[in-house]
Amino acid sequence: MRRSSDLAMSALTVATAGSMAAALWLIFLVAPEERVMGAVQKIFYVHVPLAAITFLSVFLLLTGAAGYLWTRRAGFDHLSIASAEVGWLFCTLVLVTGPIWAKPAWGVWWTWEAKLTTTLVLWLLLAGILLARAYASTPEQGARIASVLGVIAALDVPIVYKAVDWWRGQHPIVFGPGKTDPLAPGMLAALLVSMGAFLLLFALLVAVRARLAAEEDRLAALLEAAARSR
Amino acid sequence: MKSYAFLFWGYAAVWAGLTIYLIALGRRLSRVSRRLDALERRGGGRDGSAT
Repeated sequence: MRRSSDLAMSALTVATAGSMAAALWLIFLVAPEERVMGAVQKIFYVHVPLAAITFLSVFLLLTGAAGYLWTRRAGFDHLSIASAEVGWLFCTLVLVTGPIWAKPAWGVWWTWEAKLTTTLVLWLLLAGILLARAYASTPEQGARIASVLGVIAALDVPIVYKAVDWWRGQHPIVFGPGKTDPLAPGMLAALLVSMGAFLLLFALLVAVRARLAAEEDRLAALLEAAARSR
Repeated sequence: MKSYAFLFWGYAAVWAGLTIYLIALGRRLSRVSRRLDALERRGGGRDGSAT
């Protein structure tokens, strides 16, 4: 069982590395440079996948949180731990790459625009989940608080997605109605391959983090049993 | 030229963040595995039976 899971993890690692190399090739050597913004527009090819996968991580977090609150099964809690931590990392990278693009494009690093502000709220909620896990008096209490915060984070995701429509923000719309110009074919291919590569990377990180959570649980159980037997 | 500097820092930030997280994750995983192995050697088992 463990051996087949190791094999799957190795296959996932190879697929991630290959697709990431393909994405970088398309981004830097195939996709044309945008006429108005120039080279800095290429940040878009990592910023957009990271943002989309942050949303996916919150969906997985909600699945894990709801599953844990309903069944109290450890597997759901491991999924919740892994997706919150990796989602927080991806959300952090969204909030770092966004301002690096915004400074040359808008002239400011940060503005309290609706999409940016609601994304910052999402980041704070994910950070709150990690802090609740780290500082709760018992792991069960941490899991309960994290599950409730996970549900609140999931409620924030549609608000982030629709923020530009609801509050007429200046953030560009990449998907869905209201989208500005269509992407050039080279740009679209780079974006899609980059999206696939980051999706594989996310799956790999979540799988490894969930395995770590399972091993930590096993270690805690062993230590408890050893202490009882003394 | 300035545009390329922003592009460089954008990608550097992403790769630095991911690399730091991967290293931290690997170290945490190997620390837990080492402690589990030590407990196993002292008579426990990975199935959760420590005695």
